[in-house]
Amino acid sequence: MNLESCFRVAVKALAKNKLQTVLTIMGMMIGVATVLTMIAVGSGAQTAIQDQVKAAGMNLIFITAGNYKVKTDDDGSAIEENARLTTPGKGKRLFRPAVWRTSDRPHFVLAFHAEDDPMEKHDHPTAAQRLGDSEAGLGAAATLLRADADAIRKLRGVQYVSEGVHENAHVSSGSERWFTRLHGDDVSLPSIRRAWKFEFGRFYSKTEERDAEQVIVLGSVVAQKLFGEKNPVGQSVAIWKQNWTVVGVVTSGSWITPPAAGDDQFDAVYVPFTTVHRLLNLSKLNDITVTAASTGDVTRLTKAITELLRQRHKITANKADDFTITTQARQALAKGGMRPEVARSVVGNVSGLEKVTLEQLGKTLDRASSTMTALLASIAAVSLLVGGIGIMNIMLLSVTERTKEIGIRRAVGARSRDVLLQFLMEATTLSVLGGVLGILLGFFVALSISRWAVWSASISPLSVIVSFTVAAAIGIFFGYYPARQASEVAPIESLRYE
Amino acid sequence: MNPVIAVHNLVKTYHVGEISVHALRGVSLEIDSAEFVTIVGASGSGKSTLMHILGCLDQPTSGQYLLNGKNVSGLTDDELSYIRNREIGFVFQGFNLLARTSALENVELPLLYGGSHVSARERRERAMAALSAVGLEDRADHHPNQLSGGQQQRVAIARALLNNPSILMADEPTGNLDSRTSVEVMDIFQSLREERNITIVLITHEQTVAEYGSRILTIKDGNIVSDHPNEARLARFEIATAPLAEGRAAS
Repeated sequence: MNLESCFRVAVKALAKNKLQTVLTIMGMMIGVATVLTMIAVGSGAQTAIQDQVKAAGMNLIFITAGNYKVKTDDDGSAIEENARLTTPGKGKRLFRPAVWRTSDRPHFVLAFHAEDDPMEKHDHPTAAQRLGDSEAGLGAAATLLRADADAIRKLRGVQYVSEGVHENAHVSSGSERWFTRLHGDDVSLPSIRRAWKFEFGRFYSKTEERDAEQVIVLGSVVAQKLFGEKNPVGQSVAIWKQNWTVVGVVTSGSWITPPAAGDDQFDAVYVPFTTVHRLLNLSKLNDITVTAASTGDVTRLTKAITELLRQRHKITANKADDFTITTQARQALAKGGMRPEVARSVVGNVSGLEKVTLEQLGKTLDRASSTMTALLASIAAVSLLVGGIGIMNIMLLSVTERTKEIGIRRAVGARSRDVLLQFLMEATTLSVLGGVLGILLGFFVALSISRWAVWSASISPLSVIVSFTVAAAIGIFFGYYPARQASEVAPIESLRYE
Repeated sequence: MNPVIAVHNLVKTYHVGEISVHALRGVSLEIDSAEFVTIVGASGSGKSTLMHILGCLDQPTSGQYLLNGKNVSGLTDDELSYIRNREIGFVFQGFNLLARTSALENVELPLLYGGSHVSARERRERAMAALSAVGLEDRADHHPNQLSGGQQQRVAIARALLNNPSILMADEPTGNLDSRTSVEVMDIFQSLREERNITIVLITHEQTVAEYGSRILTIKDGNIVSDHPNEARLARFEIATAPLAEGRAAS
């Protein structure tokens, strides 16, 4: 008996007991769907965590102008003084720079400045006021140059490099005004900030950067404040009494919280750093952001960059760096858009967090979510097992019920293996059908969960293949015993059976 | 001419718990091609056991069975299945049709097995032809429960003949039928033998049915107690097949 006619016979046999068949298939279907959904939710969480960790900058290296790391001989009073200078009228800072010495004036650094603290109100002098002095925004420690960035670009293991100049600015459109951060960056910034999603339009282009054009990408918070829900692409906004053409609106691609006012990435505007240089007549950079092509390479690359910059800045062996390189977890945790409660618990529970790299943190979170996925999947596997037992049960019943049929088939020439194959085929058909329907149901449930519960759920082709294979295997496994029973009945015994 | 069936000293003993039941106590028998043998016996005489062994549905405890000159005793289960598929057709008292399956599909059944790769279309055509031969072409889509006993038995006969077996075995084929349909069914057997030259072994406990055979065997307590040709039927058979025999001799 060939497989095709065997399959036909199996389908006909199953069709004769519709209710039984449907119920058995449902058992299998629910099993497969549960496994698939659980894996989807589990690996969705894993992917989300990975994304967050990546977005937080697992492979990011920040180079800021000025040295914040060198310990002074002072007891720290100078720091307090400087801190007060930096942020007048403010008390304790959550994220304060360590110790500095080379700069005698405070200046603004993306990573550490209180201005970036979302809890703060922007009540300091406006950019326009400070721009009376074109160097004001950069401070005396403006030691980084475009040429430094270009040199870093040539290093092995470097993926992206973005020059950064940062200002505070009033952005206005018509009667709407909003005070926010203005970032002058390289075109590669969206590649560095991987969790970015363009709500409208695009990032500025290489050409626009080269020609220092007055094009601007709005963070979604700014776009909301100035234009509401409308698409602002093509509109113009004013900064420093100059007109800028909006080319895009960027928002968070993350599943976590939507960006709100004070968000350091999306309550901000982005323009080509060349344009900032042109308008403000600058040539120095506040910082350079570098991504390592591989996360494991961050430490080596950090050293390489340090050496390169020391060499370029002609710093002799016993002198301190005139720049600061950071890759630390704390900064990224606070800045990277990690869920606040996660960040807090990590900060609270990991001693010596400053030494913990995001790489390690990422691995830990990854392990935790893998464990979770495994747990969910093993719970779900139980329902798959129950589905399999259901198949076995129905097949055993079927063998008893159809002893006479087996006898008739044997009498007209069916070999025992034909009978085995037929019952195995029925069991497999049940499980495969249940598997296929289960995969569809699993997709639907996972999709619903990610839509309505706003959990991240990702169904990988692998998990589909695995669920399907497991379903088919369960059918064969649990169908084999009953099929074997059927095939071993002596022809004459089964014919006599009433 | 070699006999189609030759059994020697066939013994079959069943063990039911501590008790041994001797169904066959050394049966020896030869059946030639195109014979219509009826085996008569009371219930429990061993006639069904004999037929099951002759039909390769069961194996003897001891003794030799040559089917078409081939020793069946040493064959594997698969080989026996093949013989059941190709060499032997069965008709049972209880019809043994698959329930909730159309007459056509029931008739098609032997073509699914025996390693023959017959296309679905050819299966259908051949099954349809077999149904027409027993006059049931208009009942092809009926399920067994929609057919009368006589019709069901005719479907079973059509199924038994589908692979053109050399032997047809019938176990009380009229046992569940009334006398009128019994005659119908027996007439089919009669004409089969006359038209197709097929060897028929038929088991019955009714003397009237046994009279259809060209040779009547009586079995009692596991032994054959009488074996004689049925002169009346034989004469009729000789007349009916004479031209055929002549034709064969000439060729």
